[in-house]
Amino acid sequence: MSVLEVRNIEKHFGNIQVLNDISFSLEKGQAIAIIGSSGSGKTTLLRCLNLLERPDGGQIAVDGQVIFDAADLTTQRESEIRRKRLHFGLVFQNFNLFPQYTALRNVMLARELLAQEQEGFKANKRAILQEIRAGAEDLLTQVGLQDRMDNYPHQLSGGQQQRVAIARALALRPDILCFDEPTSALDPELTGEVLRVIRSLAERNTTMIIVTHEMAFARDVADRIIFMDEGYIVEEGPALEVINHPQKERTKQFLTNFSNQ
Amino acid sequence: MFMTVVGALNVGFLQTLKLFLVTLIGALPLGLVVSFGSMSRFAPLRWLTRTFVWIIRGTPLMLQLLILFYIPGYVLESGSPWPGGESGRFMASAVAFIINYACYFSEIYRGGIQGVPVGQLEAGLVLGMTRGQIFFRVTLLQMIKRIVPPMSNEIITLVKDTSLARIISLQEVIWAGYSFLKGSHGYAGLLWPIFFTGVYYLLFNGFLTLLFGWVEKKLSYFR
Ligand SMILES: Nc1ncnc2c1ncn2[C@@H]1O[C@H](COP(=O)(O)OP(=O)(O)O)[C@@H](O)[C@H]1O
Ligand SMILES: [Mg+2]
Repeated sequence: MSVLEVRNIEKHFGNIQVLNDISFSLEKGQAIAIIGSSGSGKTTLLRCLNLLERPDGGQIAVDGQVIFDAADLTTQRESEIRRKRLHFGLVFQNFNLFPQYTALRNVMLARELLAQEQEGFKANKRAILQEIRAGAEDLLTQVGLQDRMDNYPHQLSGGQQQRVAIARALALRPDILCFDEPTSALDPELTGEVLRVIRSLAERNTTMIIVTHEMAFARDVADRIIFMDEGYIVEEGPALEVINHPQKERTKQFLTNFSNQ
Repeated sequence: MFMTVVGALNVGFLQTLKLFLVTLIGALPLGLVVSFGSMSRFAPLRWLTRTFVWIIRGTPLMLQLLILFYIPGYVLESGSPWPGGESGRFMASAVAFIINYACYFSEIYRGGIQGVPVGQLEAGLVLGMTRGQIFFRVTLLQMIKRIVPPMSNEIITLVKDTSLARIISLQEVIWAGYSFLKGSHGYAGLLWPIFFTGVYYLLFNGFLTLLFGWVEKKLSYFR
């Protein structure tokens, strides 16, 4: 069974239809890369999955359970949306770290707040917080920032900030981790360190959706690639196939323009 | 003579200080209410609030004081709503100052609230935080950091603006200094008490400048 099933998602802003009949599925442990020119709806799709935007049509199912159905208001209760968001993690293009917290606190904060809601938190407060802290330290070590845990975001380079953001998203153990052009806001010499981290996540079979303009990276790291254009999925297939032997004219054009740049 | 003058000026400055504090206590929260009004999604409320703020900020506080203190006595059948004497003058001053400063503060709050990138809210939501948690744990401190520098300017201006209440004869420190020119406590024609009132403002504003500088420094550990 797929961990994620997206069925017929539609989204419009005013008169503009931004997503048209978007359907795809994702297997556990797989990575999908989404490519496509600017304005094709990639960010909007990720925002719909994370329920930052409400799709106008379609369904989202995680582990076979429908978490959102545009036609069924009972799946859209504000009180439940918060919990449902936890199925997904999102790494933003511009990091969005919390500036007043250190790298370590950025990673710990959300888990602490969730732990406080659990029964028995008061009784085991010490042990729980200790465990959250240890987990956050592990994650920061995993992204290569063991020496930077006590730095504030403004003391870190863009690449380091994005790695903190990845650790922060991982801390909640989402079923599916989404990346929205994680290296687009970085100087070219800093993209490598972030891509390496994502690559190592793929090697550990982290389930991911990666929106990216790094074609070689998408080809090497993703299992499948989705090419989007003007709100439609134009082509979807195994990563190597789509990059090396695109079937659709529009995909060929896009890839040619890309390699000519 | 010096002690007599200083004693009288102290009494005046106490009134200055009282007006200053009462204005802050009233205008700091009222300003927040006004800023919410000016950001309301309900357009009529938004435009009403913004028009009101525009009028208050676009006209002199002195004019507002005069209107608030004298006009009700002419138009209301029941006469002036303000009690007689210094307490009535103080009440009218406090109301005028609170309204005026709430409008200035509201604009500063609005800048502070809207200045926090929406990405902060979205990052919190994606991490499963409630809007309340995001406000108190993430955005509030960032707003405060943005608000402190313009607020400290405004509050130092408020210290000096309290002297405007003299237009309705509130017995604040400049009124007290001036009284020695006209004749008071057995003295008349004294010039220096007027100059000396400036020392009170300088010292108090010096203290506030240090205080706000300290707060800004406390918040400088992040950007
Ligand atoms: N909140 C919004 N309001 C109106 N239009 C939007 C909004 N967000 C995105 N759009 C429009 O939707 C289209 C797709 O945007 P986006 O999903 O950001 O594309 P991509 O990430 O592929 O560049 C664009 O035309 C964009 O202008
Ligand atoms: Mg985008």
